[in-house]
Amino acid sequence: MTVDVAARMRAARGGRLRRVRVTVRTALRMMFYDKAKLVGTTLGVVFAVVLAAQQLGVLFGLLQKNTMFVDNAGADLWIVPPNTTQASPGQRMSTALLDQARATPGVAVAAPLIMIGTSVAKPGGGSEAITLVGVDLDHGLGGPWNIVAGAAADLRGPDAVFFEDAQREKFGGINLGSVREVGGHQVRAVGFTWGLQPFGPPFSFADIDLVRDIGGVRADQLSFVLVRLAPGADAAAVAAELARRCPSAQVVTRAGFHDRIVSTLLRQQLGITFGTSTAFGLIIGFIIVALSMFSAVIDNLREFGTLKAIGLTSWDLTRMLLIQSVVYALLGSLVGLGLVAAMSAGIRSPNLIVIVPRALVIATPIIMTVLCMLASVLALRRVRKLEPGMVFR
Amino acid sequence: MSQLAIDARAVGKVFGDGPLAFRALDEVDFQVAAGELVMLVGPSGSGKTTLLSILGCVLTATDGALELFGTRVTGRKERELPVLRRALIGFVFQGHNLLAALSAVDNVRLVLESRGVGARAAKAEAVELLTAVGLADKLARRPDELSGGQRQRVAIARALAGSPPLILADEPTAALDAHAGLEVTELMVRLCRERGTTVVVVTHDNRIFHLADRIVHIEDGRIADGRLPGAPS
Repeated sequence: MTVDVAARMRAARGGRLRRVRVTVRTALRMMFYDKAKLVGTTLGVVFAVVLAAQQLGVLFGLLQKNTMFVDNAGADLWIVPPNTTQASPGQRMSTALLDQARATPGVAVAAPLIMIGTSVAKPGGGSEAITLVGVDLDHGLGGPWNIVAGAAADLRGPDAVFFEDAQREKFGGINLGSVREVGGHQVRAVGFTWGLQPFGPPFSFADIDLVRDIGGVRADQLSFVLVRLAPGADAAAVAAELARRCPSAQVVTRAGFHDRIVSTLLRQQLGITFGTSTAFGLIIGFIIVALSMFSAVIDNLREFGTLKAIGLTSWDLTRMLLIQSVVYALLGSLVGLGLVAAMSAGIRSPNLIVIVPRALVIATPIIMTVLCMLASVLALRRVRKLEPGMVFR
Repeated sequence: MSQLAIDARAVGKVFGDGPLAFRALDEVDFQVAAGELVMLVGPSGSGKTTLLSILGCVLTATDGALELFGTRVTGRKERELPVLRRALIGFVFQGHNLLAALSAVDNVRLVLESRGVGARAAKAEAVELLTAVGLADKLARRPDELSGGQRQRVAIARALAGSPPLILADEPTAALDAHAGLEVTELMVRLCRERGTTVVVVTHDNRIFHLADRIVHIEDGRIADGRLPGAPS
């Protein structure tokens, strides 16, 4: 019998797609056969996902607490004191800015807002700090929102104040109609909001004139000017014109103010703390996956050697390990994100909302896939260096 | 004279370098005719597995020349060797080396599909081969659900998958009892003879010597009688 080596070589060179299919199938079978390793490695990814996503979720929640006022105040543009990095009580500005804003083309509404730091006296003694927001009720800019009892219009009543629902016990079991002393003034609770608690004291809302009385704010002073644009007005152009007309203040868009708050917080302790714990989660997950995959290769060295001996190439084996790392990443991300969602729902409270944005849900499996592929490098190096001749030893 | 399946001339292999260098094979001449069944025997450490590895293109010789079925192997690029193995060689290993995660039929299919055979055809051939080795009722069993003899039968079916013209078997009876060892080797020899496959078996099991066309002795990395009688020098 004569062997046509050339024809056999041609045939052996072909069928690449089939080889891809069979290597993918074999990789998955090997992966799911070793249940202990499968569970261990997947748990590594789950751990990384939970730790990283949870930390980021908490960070986003904390950032949201500090940006929620800007996000919900209903203003397109803010006129703020120079170098303002938070929507919180601070430097006061002249009401002349309000007149300038109202006279600016493209401005539909310009409303004053006053924020003061004060406290609620408890009936049994002691007090609790609040940030009292004085709003111009005629324009409806600046809150309140997330109302769980009462209506914003109730603030038109005498000495009417909205308090934070989560603080009712702290304020001495306050209810609708309860009377409390705020900054030395008797006020009446006419409504409650839910979850309006920034890093600092919780927000409470009242008519701007009442807040002026309580805080001793002069009639020609305000904290911020909130601007709503006329339909079709160009925000950038109006902002530029306002800035020109109000040189003693800064004009920022809603998004710009939001980003300014976020970047300030991230540059401070918050970013470092959460960045570190997120990175640690990813690093630990990376190490677990790397060690687990390497140990899986060592355990199956003879099998990989056999695959090489029967004609699979180093690239075929590389593909097998990469497929396994991708599946570990996707499986771990799925379970991890499920756990994060459950945990987020479980710990949701007015004090802390864990926010897992869609972008994080989409990014997690992608990041974990890259991480797991990188983690498989050790295993890949071992497999690529493997001599098929080892199967005879 | 028929085509030479194996033509190894002055093949040598040195492991390591410097003062630790060890010459495992020294100027080995070894020829096997197509369709011949040769048993390579010798004591442990004599170099028979090293020679088998070089013949199987899983180890490169340090010096000498090797041709398989008239095709030069020595001097080929590393990336060409897997293609040669897929094209020409089936392996039977001492410890069966089946993939634990795969069933008997999938272990055989794997070889066929990696050689470009379509899934359906690969399954049909795998079933046919496993039936030929007497495992028609064990197709879906994984290696850990089979006896040692049955595993080695699956390994034989895998080696025959794709009808490679050369089968290299490394101590195929080592992990089996005497009866099973003889039975499995007889089966392999019968199937290879039916297909006209060339077989080289490394063994020191004298109970299977009678199945060989020729027995070649190797000792201290040298072969005294490796050439075919009448082959060109």
